[in-house]
Amino acid sequence: MTDPSPPTTPILPARKSLLERVSIVWVIPAAALAIALGVAWHSYSSRGPLLELSFENASGIRAGETELRYRDVTVGLVEGVSFSDGLDRVLVSVRLDKKVAPYVDGDATFWVVRPQVSARGVTGLDTVLSGIFIQGIWNDKPDGFIARHKGEEAAPLNRDGRQGLRVRLRAAPNAGLTEEAPIVFRGIEVGRIGTAELAGDGTSVEADAIIFAPHDKMISSATRFWDISGFSFSIGPTGAKVDFSSLAALVSGGITFQTVVSGGQAVEPGALFVLYPDEGAARASLFGDTNAEALNLTAIFQDNVAGLAVDSAVDLGGLRIGRVSALNGIVDEARFGDRRVRLAATLAIQPSKLGLDPDAGAPEALDYLDRRVQEGLRARLATASLLTGGLKVELVDTPNATGTGINRSAEPNPVLPTTESDIADVSASAEGVFARINALPVEEVLESAIAMMDNISRLTGSDDIRAVPGDVRALLGQAQGLVGSDEMQALPGRISSAVGEIETLVARLETEDTIARLSGALDTATAAAQSVDAAVAGVPDLVARLQGVAAQAEALPLDDLASRLSNLLDSADRLIDTDAARALPADLSGALDELRQVLRQAREAGLIDNANATMASARSAADDLPALLQRAQTVLTEAARTISGYDANQGVGRDLEATLREVRRAAEAVAALARAVERNPNSLLFGR
Amino acid sequence: MEIAGDVTTARDMGLVACTRCTRVWPLGTHKCGRCGHRLHSRDPHAMQRVWAFWAVGLMCYVPANLAPMLRTRTLVSSQENTIVGGAAELAQHGNWGIAMVILVASVLIPVGKFIAIAGLALGLRRPGALGPARRQQLYEVVDYIGRWSMIDVFVVAILSSLVQLGAVASVSPGPASLFFALSVIFTMLSAQSFDSRRIWDIEAVAPPAAPPIPAPPVTKAHPA
Repeated sequence: MTDPSPPTTPILPARKSLLERVSIVWVIPAAALAIALGVAWHSYSSRGPLLELSFENASGIRAGETELRYRDVTVGLVEGVSFSDGLDRVLVSVRLDKKVAPYVDGDATFWVVRPQVSARGVTGLDTVLSGIFIQGIWNDKPDGFIARHKGEEAAPLNRDGRQGLRVRLRAAPNAGLTEEAPIVFRGIEVGRIGTAELAGDGTSVEADAIIFAPHDKMISSATRFWDISGFSFSIGPTGAKVDFSSLAALVSGGITFQTVVSGGQAVEPGALFVLYPDEGAARASLFGDTNAEALNLTAIFQDNVAGLAVDSAVDLGGLRIGRVSALNGIVDEARFGDRRVRLAATLAIQPSKLGLDPDAGAPEALDYLDRRVQEGLRARLATASLLTGGLKVELVDTPNATGTGINRSAEPNPVLPTTESDIADVSASAEGVFARINALPVEEVLESAIAMMDNISRLTGSDDIRAVPGDVRALLGQAQGLVGSDEMQALPGRISSAVGEIETLVARLETEDTIARLSGALDTATAAAQSVDAAVAGVPDLVARLQGVAAQAEALPLDDLASRLSNLLDSADRLIDTDAARALPADLSGALDELRQVLRQAREAGLIDNANATMASARSAADDLPALLQRAQTVLTEAARTISGYDANQGVGRDLEATLREVRRAAEAVAALARAVERNPNSLLFGR
Repeated sequence: MEIAGDVTTARDMGLVACTRCTRVWPLGTHKCGRCGHRLHSRDPHAMQRVWAFWAVGLMCYVPANLAPMLRTRTLVSSQENTIVGGAAELAQHGNWGIAMVILVASVLIPVGKFIAIAGLALGLRRPGALGPARRQQLYEVVDYIGRWSMIDVFVVAILSSLVQLGAVASVSPGPASLFFALSVIFTMLSAQSFDSRRIWDIEAVAPPAAPPIPAPPVTKAHPA
C-alpha cells in the first residue's frame, strides 16, 4: 500500500449492544406475526362451537356453503359432512356463532329447508337460487350448548318460532289425517298438523299438531276436532247440500275444531284428541267416547246373506251401539251338525253407548248384555237400507227365547246367540212383482179385446140395430096416425052434433021433465070423460115402461138391448095395435052415441010435458052446474097436468099431448055449453 | 454480468466509502469524518432485513393461498376461489393455458423467489454448488421477475372493476389478493435488501487471498 496509512480510528468494543446488532426491520415481521397471531386468536376466540347434526341424508348440503339459519338469519356454516359410525346417518358439522350457542340446548330442532311444491303452495323457493340451508329453531332460554343434535326430516310444527299448544291427534278409523294440513278455526288458520305416523298399536294414525298462541286458549278437554278436507255431498229432507270449507282444504285437507260444550278443562301439552271424520261424528262423540275399549262379540248367523259389511251398524233398540268389525265364514261340523258355511260377524260394541256407567268397560258391558240375553235378547240381521240392500245387526228381544246367556268361553270372542233374520228383501219382492207381471196373459187379453171390438162393430153394423130408429119412428107415426085418424077428428063434430041434439033435447025439456035425464046424461058424459082420462092414463104407464126398458137397455149388453128394444117396440106396436086402444075413440063415440040416443029417447019420450014440472028441478040442477063444471074442470086440469107431465117426454109424449089437447077442446066445448046453460038456463029450454 | 479478469474491490484495498457523502475512508473507520455518517463496508443489518422481509413475505403468502382470491357472485350462485383452486377449476374447464399462467405467476414465481432468496442468503455462509456468477444471475432474475407476480393482483383488480353487473354478476377481490400483494411487495423488498456484493465477498475471502494488488485509482463498485 502506497497510500499514507489512514488515521487511527476509534475501535469500538467488540461487543455491540443487542439494539445495534439487530436491525430495526425485524419490527415488521414481528408486527406481522403479532397481527397474524392476534387475528388468529381473535378468530379462534370468537368462533363458536362446532355443532354436529345428524340427518338421514345430506342432499344438497355442502361444506363451506350451506348455512345454518335461525329465523332466516345466518348463524352458522357447514364445515364438514361425514358419516356416522355404521354409515347410517350423515353427520353435518356446523360452526355456530358464539352468541347463539348457549341457546342451542336440548329443545333445539334442526331441519333442512328444501324447495317444496305442494297443494298448499310453494315453500322454500329462495333455496332454489341460493341452495338449501339448514334451519334451526330453539327457544329464548340459554340452557347451555349441546353439540349433538338429531336433525328432523321435516320442518317442525312451530317452524316460524311461534309458540303454541302441542297436542296429539289420533284419526278415527274413517277419518283422514293429512300431513302438513292446516288447522282452521272459523276460516282462520290457527294451527298445523305435523307428520302422520302409525300409532303404537298399529291400528290408528296419529300426528302431532300445534295450535298457535293465542288460539290455544280455545282448546279444552271438551274440544272436538274433525276433518274438513274434501267436500261432503248429502241429500236429505232439506234438499241437497254440498259442503266444503275452503278450496285449499278441499285439495290438501284440513281440520277444524270446536268446543261444543262448556265445562272443559284446560289440557296439558301433548294431550290426545280424536280426529273425527265430520262434524256430526265429532258432536256425537260427546255422548260416547269411541276411544274406549270396545266389547268384541261374535254372532253366528244361520243364513249367509250378502249385504252385511264391515262397519255395518249394530243397533240396540234403534240406537247404534257398535259396528261390525269383521266378517268371516265359519264351518264347524261338531257345533252345528252340518258342513254349511255360516256367517260369523264380529261385533265391536262401545260400552259407553249402552248408557252404562261412564267408567264401565268391556266386562261390565258383557255382564249387562249377558243378563239381557238371558231375558231374550238376540242378534239378528235386519235391513239397514231398502235402497242399497245393506244389512245391519240388530239386537232384539224375542219373547219366547230359550237358552242360557252369552257363551263367554267361546274363542276368540264371546258368542251372542242369534235369531231369524228380518230382511225385507226389496229386490226379491220387486223381482216377484215383475215375474208376475211377466206371467200375465197380456197377448191373450189383447186378442180378446180386439175380438170384442170386432163383435161390437159387427153388432152396431147389423141391420137389426140400424132398423131400431126406423121402428121407433114408425111407432110414433102410428101413434100420430091414431090421433090424427078421421074418427078422432070427427069426434068434435060429433060432440057438436051431440050438443046440438042436447039443445033440441033441452028445448024439449022445457016441456018435458028431462032435467033429471039431462043430469044423468051429464053424469054419463063425465064418466065417459073419466074413462077417456083413464084410457089416457094408460099411456104414461106405457111411457114409464118405455123408460124402464130404456134404463134396462142401458145396463144390458148391446145385442140384448137391441133384441129387447125390438121386443119392446114390438110390444108397443102390439099395444097400440090392440083393439082396446083402437076402441078408445070408438068407445068415446059410442058413449056420445049413447048420449045422443038418451037425448033422442028423451025427446021421443015426449017428456016436454013434464018440462014445467021439471023446470024447478032443472033450475036446481042448473044450480048444481057450477059444481059439475068444477068437477069437469078438475078432470080437465088433471088431464092437463097429466099431459103437461109428458112435456118432458118428448116425442111420444108430445104426440099424446096433441091428442089430449083435442080431447080437452072437446071437453071445453062441453064446459062452454054448460056455462051457457048456467048463464041462461032458458036457452036450454028455448033452444037458443 | 460477466466480470472479466481479477477484480479489485475497495474492500480488498482496505477502503470504505461513506454512503452519504461518498468520501472514502480506510477500512475500520467508524464514522465518516466529513459528514459523520456511520461507515460500514457491508451493511451489517442487510441480511437481517433480507430475512425479516422474507419472513413477512412468507407469512403473507400463507393466507394468500388459503383465503379466497376472487369472489364471483352470479344470480344463482356465489363462488369463492383460492389461487390454486381457481387455477384448478380453469384447468378442469380446459383452459390449460390460463391455468398455467396463473400457476406460474402466482405459485411458481413466488415460491421460487422465496427459495431463491433463502438460497442466496444461506449461500453467503456456506457456498453451495453454484458459483458466484450463477448466483448473481439468479439474484438478477429474482429481482427482475418479482414484480410480475403482481399480475394476479392486477387481474383481480381489473376484474373487480369491470365485472360489476349489479345483481346479475359481480366479482370482488377476496382477502387473499391483499395478502398476495403484500407477499409480493415484501419479497421484492427482501430481494432488494440483499446485498449482491456479498456473493462476491465469499469468493474473495474463501480462497487464500492473493497478494495485495495495488489499488486502482478508481474503486469499481458492484451494482447494488
